[in-house]
Amino acid sequence: MNEIIESIGLCIEKGKVNKASSYPIDMQGKDGADEITKSALIQNIGPDEILKTCNDAMQRIGEKFGRNEVFVPELLMAAKAMTTVMEHLKPFFQAGSIKTKGKFIIGTVAGDLHNIGKNLVSMVVEGNGWEVIDLGVDVKKEKFIKAIEENPNSFVGLSALLTTTMENMANTVKEIKAEYPSITVIVGGAPLSAESAKKMGADAYAANPQEAVLFLNEKIAS
Amino acid sequence: MTPKERVKAAMDLKTTDKIPLMCQFSLGHILMQLNISPVNLWFDKVTFTDSLIKLREIYEFDGILVSLHGHNPNWKEHIVSITDIRNQKQVELASGDKIIFPNNDLPYYEYKNEVAKLNISEVDLEDLPQILDYIPVSSNLHFQINQNHKFDAITDIINSVGSKFSIHGEITSPFDYFLDLLGYQDGLMALMMEPEKCELILWHFTKLITKLSLEMCETGVDAIKISSPFAGAGFISPNDYKKFVLPFESQIALAVRQKGVHIYTHTCGAIGDRLETMFDSGISGIECLDPPPLGNVMLENAKERIGKMGFIKGNIDSVNTLLNGSDDDIVRDVQDIINIGTRDGGFILSTACSIAPAVKREKIQLLRKIVDNI
Repeated sequence: MNEIIESIGLCIEKGKVNKASSYPIDMQGKDGADEITKSALIQNIGPDEILKTCNDAMQRIGEKFGRNEVFVPELLMAAKAMTTVMEHLKPFFQAGSIKTKGKFIIGTVAGDLHNIGKNLVSMVVEGNGWEVIDLGVDVKKEKFIKAIEENPNSFVGLSALLTTTMENMANTVKEIKAEYPSITVIVGGAPLSAESAKKMGADAYAANPQEAVLFLNEKIAS
Repeated sequence: MTPKERVKAAMDLKTTDKIPLMCQFSLGHILMQLNISPVNLWFDKVTFTDSLIKLREIYEFDGILVSLHGHNPNWKEHIVSITDIRNQKQVELASGDKIIFPNNDLPYYEYKNEVAKLNISEVDLEDLPQILDYIPVSSNLHFQINQNHKFDAITDIINSVGSKFSIHGEITSPFDYFLDLLGYQDGLMALMMEPEKCELILWHFTKLITKLSLEMCETGVDAIKISSPFAGAGFISPNDYKKFVLPFESQIALAVRQKGVHIYTHTCGAIGDRLETMFDSGISGIECLDPPPLGNVMLENAKERIGKMGFIKGNIDSVNTLLNGSDDDIVRDVQDIINIGTRDGGFILSTACSIAPAVKREKIQLLRKIVDNI
């Protein structure tokens, strides 16, 4: 049983989606996350155990990404493998037999259409056991507020690539904090720094997806 | 030395009478400084070239980067309407697509029918474009290159101020065309899943871009900048850089250098792990070298490692120093950069990436004062 669980984790960490996938080269022709998860469930391995191994694997790949040991393509492949596993686990989430750590609302701020950073954070946060509510790009502050209203106790992530949209980010943070002072807001994006995040009233700045995950996990642990 | 000679000397790794100063303008910065129509700045060659010339004058730069080329003189024929919506202009095209033009940044498209990007397995090499008629400026944003007026913007600027100032053209890396074709995420995953096919696509674009670059050399440009924003550690590993960027940019660099024209690479973000490798392409210099937190390059370290390989154009932090910093911060930072950068020549003072739109005019004018006071 341990072996099959470890194999799922390995597939995620290495980005092996399914048997047909040619990546990575050293796993060509072997079963991937898809086949092994299916098999694990047939063998009555608990979905909670599968989820935990997925979260651990995504945490490892996220840490490697934070240390520049892997890069965006490898992270994307890992996330793709993770998504495949999650498809198999969906019925268990719906039935309530496994639960996420919490809800994380994310989007790029108004005027900003650059979504790759936001998508990477979404994937890694989801892979670490959170339910991600992705509002997409160019998200007006009212839409964030509405999402918070519909998902009380959620956490919020704002992303921006452009210097010209940093003002919109600051306004969105301000508005969220005015309406929901206890909501935790994380910001990230190329033109930002811990200093600018603090200045705009955000609770945290994440330089990479793993930093966002660490912050979120610490928040629910405290 | 004239400004043109000064920039050339720096690119030739020689010392200069004064420190050459030349930053690239973001379109947003031009808009915010000159209060012109964003629609005209994007489509109209005269508005675009006049703006570059005027802003160079205001900032007393030693040269101009002509970042777009191929303007269509009949651009108005494709426009059905221009509407003012809040602080933006909305242009409706004959195709039914809309382009939204903010007053402080790049435009973006709202497509009538969104065209899905190709999956790597669906790409037929035979169907790739045979003519390079667009510049992939940003996500889902192309600038069309009119084939009958490919370099009018460049030649107009050369004719107007090119005898005195250094005029640089711009091309885009094959890696950008590749990612633009497939979409950023799918393109990056394709590198892992079908690397051989990716290389074939990259070779195809390389052939077209090399041809464009050689034609651009004929205009009399002093240098060509390769825009290669996805080639840094924020996206790909050093190994993938060697595999998917270096061979292709090398081919272009070789062709341009054989024409006696300088060529330099502009890669934003973290490039500290690949500085020497970038010079393996045969380029004359590197632009950007973003310092932390935007990137990870310390100029002192870069100068030691690559200072003898080619020129450095950089590396003032446009956001944290120019946009958010005080005058004192700017003076301190820029003097440090000058002290390190100018050792042994081969240095052009510039913002690392382009001037952020909202940077105040006085702050850029301060750069000239700092240079002239040295």
